[in-house]
Amino acid sequence: MTKQTLPNTKPIMCKIIKKEEECEDTYTFLLEVPVKVQRAKPGQFIMLWVPGVDEFPIGIAGFENNFLEIGVAKMGEGTEALLKKEIGDYLGIRGFYGKPFKPPKKVKVNHLLIGGGFGMTPLKMLTTSLLHQEEKQEIHVFEGARTKSRLMYLEWFQHLHDKEKLAFHACTDDGSYGNQGYPTVDLENFLKESEDPSIFYVAGPERMMKVIFDIGKKYDKVIDMQMSLADRYMRCGFGVCSYCAVDPTGWRICVDGPIFNTKQLEQITDFGVYKRLDTGEKERI
Amino acid sequence: MSFETSIGSIEIRNPLILASGVLGTTYSTLQRAYEAGLGAVITKSIGPRPRSGNPNPSVFALQEIRSLINSIGLANPGYQSFRHDIEYLVKSETPTIVSIFGENQTEFSEVLDGLKDLNILGFELNFSCPNTEKGGSQIGTDSETVFNIVKTLKSKTDLPLWVKLTPNVSDIIEIANAAVRGGCDALVAINTIKAMVIDIQTKQPILGFKRGGLSGSAIKPVGVRYIYDLYESLGGRIPLIGVGGIYKGEDVVEYLLAGATAVEIGSAIGVAYPENMIRFITMKIKKYLKEHNYSSVGEITGGAHK
Repeated sequence: MTKQTLPNTKPIMCKIIKKEEECEDTYTFLLEVPVKVQRAKPGQFIMLWVPGVDEFPIGIAGFENNFLEIGVAKMGEGTEALLKKEIGDYLGIRGFYGKPFKPPKKVKVNHLLIGGGFGMTPLKMLTTSLLHQEEKQEIHVFEGARTKSRLMYLEWFQHLHDKEKLAFHACTDDGSYGNQGYPTVDLENFLKESEDPSIFYVAGPERMMKVIFDIGKKYDKVIDMQMSLADRYMRCGFGVCSYCAVDPTGWRICVDGPIFNTKQLEQITDFGVYKRLDTGEKERI
Repeated sequence: MSFETSIGSIEIRNPLILASGVLGTTYSTLQRAYEAGLGAVITKSIGPRPRSGNPNPSVFALQEIRSLINSIGLANPGYQSFRHDIEYLVKSETPTIVSIFGENQTEFSEVLDGLKDLNILGFELNFSCPNTEKGGSQIGTDSETVFNIVKTLKSKTDLPLWVKLTPNVSDIIEIANAAVRGGCDALVAINTIKAMVIDIQTKQPILGFKRGGLSGSAIKPVGVRYIYDLYESLGGRIPLIGVGGIYKGEDVVEYLLAGATAVEIGSAIGVAYPENMIRFITMKIKKYLKEHNYSSVGEITGGAHK
């Protein structure tokens, strides 16, 4: 087996070795990657091929010993076909693509991970990575969902919370779990009280991210915000087609992102305002 | 040492042009490609109306042959929406050629009419996309159709018209002659070669459209041969632009020696850092010029025909 440094190939076929219902309409799949590849980093994504149906970008929830964990929610024709796949079936993957989250080293900060829905997948992987860091720093996870049954990785985060590895702040629109309302409320309450500098790591619907970005801008103690724009239409995944590009910088989400920091997000006028369709046309978010 | 290049009436700062279909969907990536050091850029092929193209997978790499296969299928925002992007490019003084396509003469005319008032360098007519049911390479394989469309469009504008040829024909010279008779200002060769990749595990063609077009290193010798043939057959009557599989300065020189005046680069520019790629290519061309006592890049053209 050769170790690939730039695994930019046709889809590599991986066997599904585990499939579990994670929460309502959402499943976790564990795939066995048959070739040795460099470690995936939190925030990177793969292009996932459901043979004969579709291919789309999807976040990585974990990668250990060549086993790849992904979380899939029912979104359209492609994901619906994917959710029908069972253990033993094959899926194609390309990647790992994109620039990862970059937690600063040797700086005392609060790591604030904020997300909702499928955005929780890269945040799960980031949590694993932060927990492995030598210097123990405060990790706070803010998750929002419509209702309790839609909180992704609820048990996983709650378990870490109970073990005092991190603080888990869940909230739901209907109040069925955690505080009622959006995660932004818990986030602002935390920011008002905390004294140390904080860094945001955000993944989820872009409108939500824009709201969080605007909140972060109000606080000097928020020293950086890293947000994933992976929830956009992509074709190639490696920078050639430009259907995912944002204006006016010409950055391609797939290679220049999907994780962008505060300085970059400030330059992307499309952020939270326009997305691109498969025609290349822009549409208001 | 001069890098300036004339393609008919078009003058650009160097002979390296961004090929259509790569980084060409929005003004900002095109601008960035130009700023990275190219002589000019060509947009994604623009048609009469928005088009989603083919289902994914629609493009992926074949690493073992440093090539790409794609079946994007002319996905584009339509000329009315893309006008704004071209206006930005004109405003920022980005030398831009607009690639256009249509299913027939009427559609080509509609797109050209909708964009010809803009201050662009010219149009590239895409007669050669292999990834569609209608239009595309169907047009480019019929010399009569090529002649009629070029002639009609030429009567509508003074802007230069380049014709991009498909390699998927038995006689490219016949098509090229038809384009020249119609009045085109340069010939571009080649577009992608018809291709397919099948996954042996699931026994499915991988591309969503099943069939696609091959670009990258694997097709370079094919492109070089077509430019050589075109140069030999058409002599100096019309500028030729070589495209297909250029990754290095040496590849550019090879196309120029075969008879090209300029080249288009696609697959190789769509990398994480196009700036480095272009700098590297340019450096190698300069080295070649120096070693072979050329004072300008234009002197290389046709050097392999003795």
